[in-house]
Amino acid sequence: MKVVEEYSQLLEIASRTGGGASALGDKDTVYMVVHANKIIGKNILPGVEIDAVETAEGIDAVITVTKGTIIEKPVHMCFGHLGHEGKQVIKSKMVIEDGARAEFLAHCIFPNAVEFLHAMEGEIQIGENASFAYREVHVHGREGKIKVRPKSKVVVGGNSSYIGDFTLVEGRVGDLDIEIEVEARGAHSHVDIRSKIYGKYDDICKIKDVILLNGEGSSALVKARVVLKDESKGSFLGLVDGAAAGARGHVDCTEVVQGRAVAEASPVVRASHPEAEVTHEAAIGRIADEKIEGLMAKGLSEEESIEVIVSGLLR
Amino acid sequence: MIWGENKLKESLLYVDDITVMREEKEVLKDVSIKVLPGEITGILGRNGAGKSSLAYAVMGLPNYKPKKGAMYFRGQDITNWGITERARAGITLAWQHPARYEGISVAEYLKISSRKEIDVRKMEEALNLVQLESSYLSRKVDKSLSGGERKRIELASVYLMNSQLTILDEPDSGVDLLAMADIISLFRKMTENGRSVLIITHREDVASQCDRSYLMCSGEIVLEGTAEAVRRYFLSQCIPCPEHKDETGETQE
Repeated sequence: MKVVEEYSQLLEIASRTGGGASALGDKDTVYMVVHANKIIGKNILPGVEIDAVETAEGIDAVITVTKGTIIEKPVHMCFGHLGHEGKQVIKSKMVIEDGARAEFLAHCIFPNAVEFLHAMEGEIQIGENASFAYREVHVHGREGKIKVRPKSKVVVGGNSSYIGDFTLVEGRVGDLDIEIEVEARGAHSHVDIRSKIYGKYDDICKIKDVILLNGEGSSALVKARVVLKDESKGSFLGLVDGAAAGARGHVDCTEVVQGRAVAEASPVVRASHPEAEVTHEAAIGRIADEKIEGLMAKGLSEEESIEVIVSGLLR
Repeated sequence: MIWGENKLKESLLYVDDITVMREEKEVLKDVSIKVLPGEITGILGRNGAGKSSLAYAVMGLPNYKPKKGAMYFRGQDITNWGITERARAGITLAWQHPARYEGISVAEYLKISSRKEIDVRKMEEALNLVQLESSYLSRKVDKSLSGGERKRIELASVYLMNSQLTILDEPDSGVDLLAMADIISLFRKMTENGRSVLIITHREDVASQCDRSYLMCSGEIVLEGTAEAVRRYFLSQCIPCPEHKDETGETQE
């Protein structure tokens, strides 16, 4: 397949994943498109530095949003592979300097993957008075069992915020093992981690979110919405450690099981400082009859009702 | 039976002598009611009288399937129909405690109700009827709404459904008294063009707004008549309730 075909296919699929992905390819948008281990498209604007090299299995990249830069339009990162098998390893270091503000949208597109490993090792450093959102949307095929291994470590500076959003609801999940560790190091820093996953067939969905509230007055919300059907399995570990005065954290996990799916949730809250407050809520179960019957009384079939409920939950 | 056939012909809904069991207890005993086209029919009774069970049985909830008797809607035997079939045939229910749906906006919820394309103006009009501003369209039908707000949205939703028969289970609960006059006018609007409303209520002032009423007690229909006659009987005979006595033998208020 020619590079131009790979490029246009990845962009076409990415544009369906929302978040204004249709801007991918525009001259006034910062973006990078990677197919397998090749950088096949890139656009950089002042205030953003992307230093990326191709490696044998993927790419290594250092991305910097320089001091005080405010990027109005989301930065698009498209990582994909259109083949059936292979491997893609993305290693990245992102630096959001003091006073900078940016939102990154990562489109991870593997529509044909059957025997495939997609691994991401990320390090994110957010300076003081900065704001950074990293939203990752995956598109997988309906068949195959792609292995997905995203691992990231984030450090958030004073008066800064980090939003991490991971969505894998289209196609099969495959075998997912995601690990995020965030240290809210600076005073009054804020962390918001959200995961939305829809497991089917014999998919495996593991989520581990660890938040360390080390900064005075720091706060965090960890929210997971997992729907499992058929024979899929899921586990969620959300740990928030309140280790500073005035630290506030909350873990909120809902897992819905259908068919023979199995779900496990471990919201762990730890207050290692007497003036910290960390709370949690977790619910696992099938969709309540009253919700399904409520929509059926409006004329939806049982299947349509479940679809509406699940789609709302995974937004 | 000629008498039964006549009732069937003239009624929009005809519930014929149904008995419903829940956990080996009869929650409805030999219940018969009819709802006529274009009428508001009331089911009045104290808490635990079986009113909501009757609403669920008519809506077709699987746990309220009659062990005996039959139900007819527009002359068709619907006794073995499921909820969806009944809803598509023209029956709907505004629940006493409507479910909440994470991630679903009020606008989406109202669109689901209409089951067809619906413009924003219609949705705004429905919200206006239940005294909610159009800004609610972008709110989520989740726990961020109060019980009263959720209830009003449910009423707006069934109004937009334009069903032939709308069952309102305790429509006044969670809605303040000042709004009652508007809610009553909403019921009247629901009966335009021959459509009918079945109101489940424990309040005699709500039941008095109906064209006809039934009084329920301990899973049975004990009285059928004009709304005023049923209201008077309820006030004189059911308060205090002679069926419910506390440990001292005193009847409960």
